[in-house]
Amino acid sequence: MSGDEAARAWSPAEFEKRLRRIGEERYHHRHPFNLRMHAGDLGRDEIRTWVCNRYYYQTRIPIKDSLILAKARDPGFRREWVQRLHDHDGASASEGGLELWLALAEAVGLERAAVESLEHVLPGVREACDDYVRFVESHDLLESVAASLTELFAGDIMVERIAAFEKHYAWVDSAGLRYFRKRTQQAPRDATWGLDFVLREARARQDQELCTAALQGKCEILWRLLDAVEAAQRRPLLARSAQLRIDPVGDQTLVVLPERAVKLNESGREILALCDGERTAATIALELRRRHPEVEQLESDVHEFLTQMRRLGVLASPT
Amino acid sequence: MQAPRPYNLVAELTYRCPLRCAYCSNPLGYREVPEALDASAWCRTFQQAAALGALHVGLTGGEPTVRADLDEIVGGAAGAGLYTHLVTAGTTLEAGALAALRDAGLRSVQLSIQDSRAAESDAMAGVQAFERKLAFAEEVRALELPLTLNFVLHRHNLERVSEIIDLARRLDADRLELANAQYYGWALPNRAQLLPTRTQLEAAARAVSRARREHERPEILFVLPDYFADRPKPCMGGWGRRTIVVAPDGRVLPCHAAAQIPGLEFWSVAERTLAECWADAPGLNAFRGSGWMREPCRSCPERDRDFGGCRCQAFLLTGDAASTDPACQLAPRHDVVREARAAAERSEPTPRLVYRGETLQG
Repeated sequence: MSGDEAARAWSPAEFEKRLRRIGEERYHHRHPFNLRMHAGDLGRDEIRTWVCNRYYYQTRIPIKDSLILAKARDPGFRREWVQRLHDHDGASASEGGLELWLALAEAVGLERAAVESLEHVLPGVREACDDYVRFVESHDLLESVAASLTELFAGDIMVERIAAFEKHYAWVDSAGLRYFRKRTQQAPRDATWGLDFVLREARARQDQELCTAALQGKCEILWRLLDAVEAAQRRPLLARSAQLRIDPVGDQTLVVLPERAVKLNESGREILALCDGERTAATIALELRRRHPEVEQLESDVHEFLTQMRRLGVLASPT
Repeated sequence: MQAPRPYNLVAELTYRCPLRCAYCSNPLGYREVPEALDASAWCRTFQQAAALGALHVGLTGGEPTVRADLDEIVGGAAGAGLYTHLVTAGTTLEAGALAALRDAGLRSVQLSIQDSRAAESDAMAGVQAFERKLAFAEEVRALELPLTLNFVLHRHNLERVSEIIDLARRLDADRLELANAQYYGWALPNRAQLLPTRTQLEAAARAVSRARREHERPEILFVLPDYFADRPKPCMGGWGRRTIVVAPDGRVLPCHAAAQIPGLEFWSVAERTLAECWADAPGLNAFRGSGWMREPCRSCPERDRDFGGCRCQAFLLTGDAASTDPACQLAPRHDVVREARAAAERSEPTPRLVYRGETLQG
C-alpha cells in the first residue's frame, strides 16, 4: 500500500461498506457450528453445551458496557449506552437479557444454578470472552464501540435461529426463545446508533482502520467461542494416516504422518490413548481430571493439546 | 564435521515422466542422468537412511510409477521402517497396482494436479491426464490411503484457488499443498510467464484463510512465495540438515537442484554408504552451518532461522552460490527479484511456455 493511499480517509459510505463486509466474511453466522445448529444437525448435548457456555459471554457483556460507559465524556452517549445495561440486567432480577438466557438454559434442560455457577464453562470460551473484556479495557471509546458493531449482524442471525429452533428443536419450549426474539429488535437499534457514532467519529484513515481491526478482532472472539464449544463435543480418534512408533534415536514416542512427525511427552501419550472415537473431548478432560485431581489448568491443557493435534492431522475429528 | 540427523529421505527413482509441465523441478539436463540404482540398491539405501534416523521416505521422480520394480522398492522402504509416501502424477499405474503397493507397505499418496479445470490442467501437463487423475484420487480414497493433493500455483491458475480448494474437498483430500512455483529447473526459463502479481497472491491468500476458517478438511498448505516475502525461505530446512535427496544416478544431494551448482562434489550410494555420502561429501559440507556465510548473512539475527535462504537460487540468479539469496530484501542483488516482480506487474507480452523436454532457445 502506498503512503498516499494510507493517508486518504474512506468516505462514510466506503467505510460502512468495509465494516459490513467484515461481518459478511467473518461473523459467526458462517461458523460450521452455527451452520449445523441452524440446519438442525445438533444433538441435545451440543445445544446444551452451547447454551451453558454462551451464558459466560452474556455475563461479560454488561461488564464490557460498563467499561465503555466509564470512557464516555458525553452525557448523551452515556444516556444512550446505559440502555444496554438495562437490557441485559433488567430493571429487576426477574427481567433482562441474562434472565432470559437462563430461561433458555432451563428450556434446553439445564439446571439454572449449574449454569449460573459458571463452573462448566470451557477454558477456550472463558479465554475468548475475557479477551473481549480486556480489549475494551485497554482500548479507547471509539475502538470499543467499533468492536460492539457485531450487533449489526445479530438481528439476521436471531431471526434464522428462532426459525431453526422452532423447526428442528421442537423439544425446546418456545417460551425459552424469548431472548432471541428480544434481540431481533434490540440489536439492530443498538447497532444503528453505534454505527452512526463510529462513522461520525472515525474521520481519519488511521482511526477508520483501527475500527475495522477492532470489529474483525471481535468477530474472531465470537468465532473462537464456537470453536471451543464445537471442539469439546468432538470424539477424537487417531487419524488413519498416523503411525505411532518409538523414535529409534532417543526412544521418545512419535506420531508419524505424511511429511511430518510429532513428538509426544508422557501426558500427551495419556491423552491420546483416550482418543477412541467414542469419548468426547469434554469426557476426556473429565476422565483426566479424575485421574489427576491435583493438576492445575488441566482442562485447558487437554483442550489445547487436542486442538493442536487436530491441527497437525494427528487426530481425525468426526463430530 | 558431525553430520546432523536426517529426518527425511527423498528418493528420486527416475527422471522419466509422461508429463511435460513447464515448471518441472527436474534438471534441464535430466535426460543425461542415468538410472543407476536397481531395487536392491534402493532397499539398501533405505536401510541405511533408517539407521541414520530418517523417519520418512518420499518416492518421487520424475514419475516413480514408471519403474517396473516399484513394488519391491516400496516393500524395501516399508521394511526399513520408513513412513513410505508416493509422489505421483497418477496417470501411469495399471488397475490394481495401487492396491499392490498398499499391500507392500505404502502409507500415503501425493497426487499432483495442474489446475481445477480439465482443459487448463491438460494444457500445463502437455498430455490429457485430468480425468485419469480424478479417477486415481478416487482409487486412493477407496483404498483408504491418506491423500495429499499438490497444485503448483502460477499466474495462470492463481485466480482459481477457490475452485482448486473445492475440488480438493470433493476428492476428500486430507491435505492440499498449494505450492507456489519455485524458479529452478524448467520454471526459471519460464519465469516471465509464471510469476504472478501481488494482487493475485493476496486474493489467493484471502481465499485460503477463508477456507481454513470454515472447513476443517483438507489441511491447506500455502505460504507466500519467496519472491514476494521480505526474507528468504528456510530452504530444505537448511542445507544438508534434515533432508537427504538421492538422485536417480545415486548421488546424495541436499536438495533437488543442487547438482547444477558447478564445482560441488557429491558422492553416490552406488559407490559408498549413505552415511559417508551424507556426512563427508565435500558438496554437502560446502554450505552446512553458517561458517560459509558472508555479510549480510553472517551477522544477521535470522541466520539460524532461514539458514541464509537457498543456495541454488543464489547461484541461478547471481552466478555465485555463496552469495545472499536474492529473495532476501537485504541481499546486495535483491534488485534481480524486484525487477522480476516489477515485470510481472507490467504484464508485458511474454514468449510462450517452454515445456519440459523442449529445446530452450538462447
